[in-house]
Amino acid sequence: MTGRPGARLRRPTAVRQLLVFTALLTATALCALTLGTPVVPLSELPAALTGGDEGLAGVVVTELRLPRLTLALLAGASLGAAGLVLQEALRNPLAVPEMLGVSSGAALGVAAPLVLAVSVPAAVEPLLALGGAALGGVLTLLAAGFGRSPSAVLLTGAAVAAALQAALLVLMVMADQLDLQIIYRYLLGSLSARTWDEVTRLWPWLLISLPALVLCAPVLAVLRLGDDDAQALGVRVHHARFAALAVAIVLIAPVIAVCGPVAWVGFLAPQLAHRLLPYADAVRRLPWAAAWGALTVAVADLPARLALAPTETPVGAWTALLGVPAGVVLLRARRRHDPSDGGPTKGTDAPVRTVKP
Amino acid sequence: MKPRTGMRLVLLALLALLCAVADLLAGPALSPSGVWEVLTGGGGTVERHLVLQLRLPRLLVALGAGAALGVAGLVLQFALRNPLAGPEVTGVTPGAVLGAVTASGLGLAGWESPAAVTTAACLGGFAGAGLLWLLAGLSRGDAATTAVYGVLVSAVLGGLTAMMLTAAPGQLGSVVQWLIGTTEGRVWEHWHFLWPWTLLWIVLAGLLAGPLTLLRCGDEQASAAGLAPGPARGAALVCSVALTAGAVSAVGALGFVGLLVPHLALAVFGADLRVALPGAALTGAVVVCGADAAAQLLSRALADLLDSDRLTLPVGALTTCVGAALLLLVVRRRPGETH
Repeated sequence: MTGRPGARLRRPTAVRQLLVFTALLTATALCALTLGTPVVPLSELPAALTGGDEGLAGVVVTELRLPRLTLALLAGASLGAAGLVLQEALRNPLAVPEMLGVSSGAALGVAAPLVLAVSVPAAVEPLLALGGAALGGVLTLLAAGFGRSPSAVLLTGAAVAAALQAALLVLMVMADQLDLQIIYRYLLGSLSARTWDEVTRLWPWLLISLPALVLCAPVLAVLRLGDDDAQALGVRVHHARFAALAVAIVLIAPVIAVCGPVAWVGFLAPQLAHRLLPYADAVRRLPWAAAWGALTVAVADLPARLALAPTETPVGAWTALLGVPAGVVLLRARRRHDPSDGGPTKGTDAPVRTVKP
Repeated sequence: MKPRTGMRLVLLALLALLCAVADLLAGPALSPSGVWEVLTGGGGTVERHLVLQLRLPRLLVALGAGAALGVAGLVLQFALRNPLAGPEVTGVTPGAVLGAVTASGLGLAGWESPAAVTTAACLGGFAGAGLLWLLAGLSRGDAATTAVYGVLVSAVLGGLTAMMLTAAPGQLGSVVQWLIGTTEGRVWEHWHFLWPWTLLWIVLAGLLAGPLTLLRCGDEQASAAGLAPGPARGAALVCSVALTAGAVSAVGALGFVGLLVPHLALAVFGADLRVALPGAALTGAVVVCGADAAAQLLSRALADLLDSDRLTLPVGALTTCVGAALLLLVVRRRPGETH
């Protein structure tokens, strides 16, 4: 892609992006650690963080706010990276976990034992989420014929997601009033009352998926060329799509098991990464998608915690409210800028359908 | 009207009657002979109350809501020239849900005052459709793009509904039933509001049959034939949103009825709206009523099987699952035509 006019600008853009990102992240982290009840003044923050403060402020910062911020960053990074993997693998900017039945499947896997009063050890919950997510994702991909036609994938995914949502709602109808509150909060994605325990449940999964991500990123860059070209270069397209789906599921399911389906982060973060690095390939965009995802969740957690204080609002509702409009605006700008690249249904669809199996 | 289509209408009406009888008999705690006894004027107080105050209004509300959703979907699909434009995927139903939840959350409307809830649901429905129009341009673009944007709009509206529900958590239990769509506990008040509203807007939709047929041929043909496409499309949208809002305020967000019933109706009656509109109304009534009967029978069977008495299967769960399976079939069978 060296012939593009923007290529010359790449280095300064990347540096500036790094600076902007660091500044935003610092500001968000400071807000997340200081604001709330009680407000910890900036001057007392270092003491509270290093454990020098034995009082209320120290406990609140190290035992409540710091793990929550860490969890938000980890969850956001996983969701952002998973969104990018799915979008690149299916060559469709709208192929997000929410649209493919992956999120609803994982949520169903976690919520079902809760309602049916089956006690499940915390370590098994990610596995249940994994099973549900795999069910939803594989069902969608199989029913849509491995993503030959992008719009068919999305419509199939919408149908699968709706069916899984209906199953969830049936479970909720069966639950009693107290369970219902808990499940509803969980289903919207919430970071409230998460501690270091949840963080330690999440990061081993990330360690597993990191090497898989590194391995699959170059294949994603090849898949982007289109099914024909990828096949000519020796990539077995169906296998590669399934592998990418598997990586995305391993990234998403543990997050959903711990925080609930924090919606549409996987849509917004890759759009941001694309907007800010328009000519980079999947390998270079992947870390940025993770970074912007982390920032998105951390930022969305601020209004979730503070907007209606002392009542907490679910962070997933905020990410949906902020993420969908912002993502759509970015998507439209992107299509105007480069019409050959990705609308929900247009783009590289037409040549693919002429392939004879 | 050809004799054959007339025959089909009559057959469908008979089918509706059959579903209605099945729905009347399907509920728990009363045998079919007991129901018959009440209908012929006998029966004890409890039986009379069960049949006349609970089952009959429930049955009528299911029929009315099904008819409203079927016609709303058909009008929407003709007006937008989009076979995938059900009220569920154009933001109308989620908007209506948001409007109703907001109104009752702010204390402006209670569940016992259907008129206020319907007004709020109408406003919400217009807001949802307007949002989609802002995003995608309702009449431009291809069918699948609009449907995909509709899912995005639904996500935003769902987020707002969730905010409302977390802000006022007390009503969560009753709202969840209604988010999925249920005919449980519908009484005469609901029916007394539903039928004039639905009838009014279905008649108006029938008056719009000519313009709608022209609109389906395309804007240029419509204006060549002397029809202003903008106002006609607006009128059709108002009609469709009003019908959806009425149904939503009565039974909640029944999944996929408004999207798939028009396809059934068009397959049976052809594209002549003068026949297809009543056909869609009848088909919708049959589908919802039949689904309600099936849901009651299923939940009785499940309750026997699992030995728990609090298990009730809402009718919306059934329509959503069946609808999702049908949609999968449609998408899979004709991948080219959805573009």
